[in-house]
Amino acid sequence: MLLSDKITGGVMVALGATAFIYGSTLPPVPGQQVGPSAFPMAVGAALVLCGTLIAFGIGRHFEEVAEADVASHSAPDLHEPLPAWWNWLALLPPALLAFYALASEALGFLPTAGIMVVIASLAFGARPKLAVPLALIAPFVINLIFLKLLRVPLPGGLLPFPW
Amino acid sequence: MNTVIQAFGLVFQTDVMIAIVASAFYGLTVGALPGLSATMATALLVPITFYLSPIAAIATIITASAMAIFSGDIPGCLLRIPGTPASAAYTDEAYAMTRKGQAETALGICLWFSALGGIAGTLSLMLIAPLLAEFALSFSTYENFWLAMLGLMCSTLVARSSPIKAIAAMLLGLLITCIGIDNPGGVPRFTFGSTDLLGGIEPIPALVGVFALAEVMRALTEREPPKLEHRRLGSILKGQIELTKKYPKQQTRGNIVGIIIGVLPGAGADMAAWVSYAMSKRFSKTPEKFGTGHPEGLIEAGASNNASLASGWVPALLFGIPGDTITAIAIGVLYMKGLNPGPTLFTEQASSMYALYIIFILGNIIMIPFGIIMIRLASRVVGAPRSAVMPVIMIFCAVGAFSTAGNNLFAVWCVAIFGLLGFVMEKNGYPVAAMVLGIVMGTMVEQSFVTSLIKSDGSILPFFSRPVSMVLSSMTIAALLWPVFMWSLEKLRARRAVAA
Amino acid sequence: MTDSISRRKLLKGAAAAGAAGLIVKPAIAQAQWPSRPLTMICPWGAGGGTDATARIVASLLEKDLGQPCNVVNRTGGSGVVGHSAIATAAPDGYNIGMLTVEISMMHHQGLTDLTPASYTALALMNEDPPGVQVSASSPHKDIKALAEAIKAAPPGKLKASGTGQGGIWHLALVGWLVAMGLKPDHVAWVPSNGAAPGMQDLAAGGIDIVTCSVPEARAMIDAGKAKSLAIMATERNPQFKDVPTLNETLGVNYSVGAWRGIGAPKGLPADIQGKLAAALKKAFDSKEYKDFMNARGFGMKFADPAGFASFMAEGDKAMASAMKAAGLAKA
Repeated sequence: MLLSDKITGGVMVALGATAFIYGSTLPPVPGQQVGPSAFPMAVGAALVLCGTLIAFGIGRHFEEVAEADVASHSAPDLHEPLPAWWNWLALLPPALLAFYALASEALGFLPTAGIMVVIASLAFGARPKLAVPLALIAPFVINLIFLKLLRVPLPGGLLPFPW
Repeated sequence: MNTVIQAFGLVFQTDVMIAIVASAFYGLTVGALPGLSATMATALLVPITFYLSPIAAIATIITASAMAIFSGDIPGCLLRIPGTPASAAYTDEAYAMTRKGQAETALGICLWFSALGGIAGTLSLMLIAPLLAEFALSFSTYENFWLAMLGLMCSTLVARSSPIKAIAAMLLGLLITCIGIDNPGGVPRFTFGSTDLLGGIEPIPALVGVFALAEVMRALTEREPPKLEHRRLGSILKGQIELTKKYPKQQTRGNIVGIIIGVLPGAGADMAAWVSYAMSKRFSKTPEKFGTGHPEGLIEAGASNNASLASGWVPALLFGIPGDTITAIAIGVLYMKGLNPGPTLFTEQASSMYALYIIFILGNIIMIPFGIIMIRLASRVVGAPRSAVMPVIMIFCAVGAFSTAGNNLFAVWCVAIFGLLGFVMEKNGYPVAAMVLGIVMGTMVEQSFVTSLIKSDGSILPFFSRPVSMVLSSMTIAALLWPVFMWSLEKLRARRAVAA
Repeated sequence: MTDSISRRKLLKGAAAAGAAGLIVKPAIAQAQWPSRPLTMICPWGAGGGTDATARIVASLLEKDLGQPCNVVNRTGGSGVVGHSAIATAAPDGYNIGMLTVEISMMHHQGLTDLTPASYTALALMNEDPPGVQVSASSPHKDIKALAEAIKAAPPGKLKASGTGQGGIWHLALVGWLVAMGLKPDHVAWVPSNGAAPGMQDLAAGGIDIVTCSVPEARAMIDAGKAKSLAIMATERNPQFKDVPTLNETLGVNYSVGAWRGIGAPKGLPADIQGKLAAALKKAFDSKEYKDFMNARGFGMKFADPAGFASFMAEGDKAMASAMKAAGLAKA
């Protein structure tokens, strides 16, 4: 997911411009010299400026210095680089969180969290011997902490916490 | 003197002692869990304080909040996941030390200088409370505006990246605070008709997303790092005395900055840590070492956030003005227990006040042994396989954000989206800490700017003419112009060198 | 996570036993309300007066009903988010919430479709009238002098604060100005993030008047930084006997108040409504509640479900006309 500065800078410009245009449509508030439109417009304009600078590679020099500093202080990577598709694994945790947001009310916390732990643990390369007990115990302990120590009720769903 | 003896009598009661020990463990646990803030730990204690004696009630609040702020450093140091927002400023530094095999030194610094900072803050509370409070009371929205601007300028200093990208990330954070109706005009912005967006984006889900979830994502894409030497952590406190002797200036400066920021209304431990870390780097002889596992900034920022915690009580006790959210809760408890904030508290209830000081000192002293126990327990997490730790952290991300947002699933969506955002930003050299800073400070910037203009009927003169705002505005402008000045000086020198 | 097989087996066994317990429990659950913990949604943040009130009521309910009552702070959007969470929760008697005066204001501003009629009313627990606070160094010795000064000042010269734009204390100011025959924006409103920052700015000399409630201003008054000139209520508050009402000093008969009550989603079964209302009445009458409210200086006002519903409906009508007059209502 390494993108060129041209692309990320361009995204910043687009975001800033959208904020500026949207902000300019906000109605003024009677009695306030500066209405709700001023702040989004100012931030949007600044973002357009920064985005342009980034897209043209200004300030890139600092990053190179910083990277060199870090590299000189850390151990060299001896492994060969991982295949590119590995990067897509990064999408798994947000996807699992989305699953939680969609399913936890209906399924309940314990089953939802259990499913999430199994999938994530296997993705990290755990054997089922570790992943399955972990998925049974961890959600239970977390539920206990939240309910008893923090007094936060978690969704019960199909399998409510027993006490 | 009699009141002091009386105060000791008030503190050394069985119920107070039990309250201190129990809330110490509670604060340490909550603080170490990513996404659960010190504020939440304190808020949850309120119903329990109903049933306690006044001194025991205050003791639980003081101890739990101090422990939670320190303990937020532990996951930051071991896993690069800050436990509380106050640790976010120096998480990278602490984690870099861990990777270099100096986990015990890093954690020791956090613990030792937190405790010293807390004690320094308490001394300030005892000695100069009235003076400091008068100073803080002269802060109007004009001064708050400059303060917020100064805070934002730290964004370019905390990160090891291009300052332009840091500013862009900070602006992105400011833009995120525009969402919702919590703006001075009460006008819905960027809400697209959604009730949840009307409420805006809270800092905690954003923080959990960009730090904790993004860390889980990063771990998935990388090979399991070579195991840290499988050994017990060495002595936690070894070498701390030498560090104290080596960096006295940093520690003192951290304490002073923390105390000042704590006293100011609306700025708490989070901001203290950011400002101190940035200051440490700015004045360091070796700024290039920052971010590579260098103790200097860690000492200053660690000393600062705990100092701010104690001094935040100054305006709370004198005027009932919260220095941060933790003291806001504490004020409620004070009222409930008949210890009404106000100057009379210092005269009519002097023994209670001394008792409060004693609890502060006591809390910071027991932080050391209790903190060591917590560090030892937590360090086992690092030895555990990644495939067991990371999934559990992911669940904590979801549930922690869910519960701090009042059981709102919208917060879980926020964590997921900010996780993605943080991951992509980090890969492309945009410092996420700068964005979090923007999210934390955004509302204060806009609120103080708009209300200042209403008060001055549209004139910007008071931003520069009031005594304190004059000082703060010159500081901000100087900080803005400094890099430009240095840059032109360097250019000039280079040209001379070529000419010569 | 270690190699110890026996421990792992043990844990598995424990988990299985737990799972068995899980399945048995829900079967008995429906028999008698309340059989599981209650959740009370508070639309305002931890540390504020509403949160404190919610927490004391919850702890008293817990004592009476024998089930935990967990307070959940669903904040943001000036109360919209929390109020809509209460309205959309399941009406099963396990979800209740703190309703505040904002529910009768927000829908006039077009921020939400929810009105007081979107809830099952349970009990009114508290009401606080706004006060008129000025800095201790203010030249205006009493409310009469301040009223004269306001009338004499050019529009927009004096500034007042205490809450956000269009909030309850803003409306209190507008109502008072209109009652004195002045324009609603004769005194400019400086939005603030609650009463405490407003009081701080008053002490710092940034603004002239704060129209928050007297308990919210109390610490600054006790510290000698501010003084309260009047309250906008029909009678004096026994907690602050020295502060006169507007009626007795200016002859202006104007009163509003910020109230807090407990409600549930629409469609709550009548028998549960009755049980909850009885428990809340008991809580209101308890010594703990009285002590707590007195300690904080909060006003106590009770109404049963029917009374609370009509109280909210009346308040809603009054707010409609007040907000229209102030130009804050969406046409």
